Amino acid sequence: MGLLEWVLELLLSPQVFAPVVFPGLVTALVVLLTIIWAERKIAARVQMRVGPLYVTRRFGGVLQMLADGTRYMFQEFIIPETSDKGFFVFAPVLALAAAILPFAFIPAAPGFAPVKHPLAALGVLASLSAAPLAVLLMGWSSGNKFAIQGAVREAFMTLAYEAVVFLSVLAMGMLYGTLDLEEAVYRQVIPGLLLNPISAFTFFVGMVMSAGRLPFDIVEGEQEIVAGPYVEYSGIVFGIGMGLAYLKLYAFSLLFSILYLSGWEPLLPIYSVYPPLGGLMLFVKAYAVMLFVAFLRSVYGRYRLDQALRAGWRIFLPLALASVMFSAFVKVVVYG
Amino acid sequence: MLSTSEVVRSRLLAREGGEEVYELFIGPQHPSSGHMRFIVRLDGDVIVSVDPDIGYVHRTMEKLAEGREAVKAIPLLERMTIIDSHNVTIGLVRAMEKLLDVEPPPRARYLRTLLSEINRIASHLYGIGIAGIMLNHSTMFMWAFGDREVWLQLAEELSGARLTHTYSIPGGVRRDLPQGFADRAEKAVRYMTRRLEEYAKIFLENPQVRSRYEGVGVLKKGEASRLGIVGPNLRASGVKYDARLAEDYAAYSEVSFEVPTLEEGDAYARMRLRIEEIKQSMSIILQVLRKVPEGPIFAEKYLKLLPPKLREQVLSTGRVKLPALFASMKLPAGEAVARAEMGHGEIFYHLISDGSAKPYRLRVVTPSFRNVILFRYLMPGHRFMDFPAIYGSLDYFPPEADR
Repeated sequence: MGLLEWVLELLLSPQVFAPVVFPGLVTALVVLLTIIWAERKIAARVQMRVGPLYVTRRFGGVLQMLADGTRYMFQEFIIPETSDKGFFVFAPVLALAAAILPFAFIPAAPGFAPVKHPLAALGVLASLSAAPLAVLLMGWSSGNKFAIQGAVREAFMTLAYEAVVFLSVLAMGMLYGTLDLEEAVYRQVIPGLLLNPISAFTFFVGMVMSAGRLPFDIVEGEQEIVAGPYVEYSGIVFGIGMGLAYLKLYAFSLLFSILYLSGWEPLLPIYSVYPPLGGLMLFVKAYAVMLFVAFLRSVYGRYRLDQALRAGWRIFLPLALASVMFSAFVKVVVYG
Repeated sequence: MLSTSEVVRSRLLAREGGEEVYELFIGPQHPSSGHMRFIVRLDGDVIVSVDPDIGYVHRTMEKLAEGREAVKAIPLLERMTIIDSHNVTIGLVRAMEKLLDVEPPPRARYLRTLLSEINRIASHLYGIGIAGIMLNHSTMFMWAFGDREVWLQLAEELSGARLTHTYSIPGGVRRDLPQGFADRAEKAVRYMTRRLEEYAKIFLENPQVRSRYEGVGVLKKGEASRLGIVGPNLRASGVKYDARLAEDYAAYSEVSFEVPTLEEGDAYARMRLRIEEIKQSMSIILQVLRKVPEGPIFAEKYLKLLPPKLREQVLSTGRVKLPALFASMKLPAGEAVARAEMGHGEIFYHLISDGSAKPYRLRVVTPSFRNVILFRYLMPGHRFMDFPAIYGSLDYFPPEADR
């Protein structure tokens, strides 16, 4: 066996391909770049403005984000005198790691997850809920009043949405009788969205809250607290702060597509050619969900913190509980 | 030596009357502070007090105006509220006219009304757009600023300048109505009427926006008049006061229009009132275009100063070339006051002359300067996130307050 074949085989093995190529790092980076571009394009269409066209005008400025990323790369990374320097540098790394970790549990296609585990859904959620801790650390170690305000908001929001998201996933887990994401796809006789619309709705809202997208982009609160926890960060580390929300959104969208939109089903005899090709379908679904979330920017402003918290605790939490009960009911009727 | 937690505490908290509050300095370097600073004290998430700290764009305009010939104060003072530059100087022009004892011809008065209303619409759109972005509603921001361009173009056609029109001068206006202006203005009115409906859909009736605005920053009727609030902020609290009715200037006594008022006095009422005012302004524009009389646009008294050839040119082209004498025109000794209604509210001028070409004293009271006190009175008790919402609804313009 030649070296090349060996490398190729290593690369195409699920344990390497999934975290590194799809849905992991490389795809995440591409998604990060294109979704920001798409968001600007969608907003531009609604708002009667041009959107990014500075780089590659012919392709609608699709490379704009790459150019922006390059600019961030070469910007000076300033560590404020008053910050807690060790944690100030460490926190973004931790945040990024926590945001990338879920891809270890998300199957791209049948049998194509690096970690195939009966509690994969829980693994995704657990690693995603580690990210807010890092954001909290970012805000606190900055030693900036606005950053601390933002960090406190993150803590509030985390508590409000996480219970909702966990309960929604629990509802689906009950329905499918498993928390294994791959199994969950097989057990969807019809898409989970139709099986339990309440759970889908609460998960979606929790997802938007968690990813800090409008109308719940309260943590960043540009108009009051400048950029919240990220205010003291500059250069590529600020880019990480910005990308963090999109990475979370990407992970959540994949989870949403798997749990509610029947993942890589329907179709695809092309599994037999090469299994990850089934992931294309999953990717398209996840991307559509993300585009919809991006579109919300053009419709909504920002809710107030107490309004969002009240909605989280008083509306969405009871709804999520109701979705659990609804699941129990559907489980009896459909899966009998 | 202080322990770490004590250091952190001392950095974050300020003591006020035995209580510890969280003190935030918002601005002058802040995305939504404008050119000013607010010292905001928070108890948890609730605002305890707000101190507006103005003076970061102070340009001593009143003093500068005393150092130059009276006519040259017009392009100078326009810069106070550059988004509303005709309304801001029409009061000054009126004060000068009172001193000089000259009346503009009827056509000039109508043209002044026309530009004033175009300016008012542009100013309100600016305010609405800023209010939108304060809620992070970027669509409202872009729409309002994009549609503002329609009115800026009309103003540019009329006066020759996009922002600093210098349109009114003592004795009349500088330019006549251009060819085909009425058609384009009517088209703009039709377009804006349609757009206002869309604004309502995406912004004013958006449940998210309503929940941010309703019952927030309530200014009671009595409080509004006690604090001397002016403009839409006053009228949204139910006080029917408008300098366009109180002071006879331009052609406002000859067109019929309503002064909309609302009773609620909250941020939502202030936003809705601006929309209503835009509608009224558009109706005034249509009336002016229908009624505008033929005739000269510049007072006969000054027209006579021109050499015959130039006078012919002025009368035929409708573009006033100021006679050299005009620039160094002596203001008769005396005092004059004038008021005018800007988009933000009433502006007040007090002009004192000792008989030289330069004003002895020029005093301006701008609407934003009178409204800035609201920050101190409306904010306490609200959530910190209401701060930009109330700020946006007040349509406060820092350079105008600072002069």
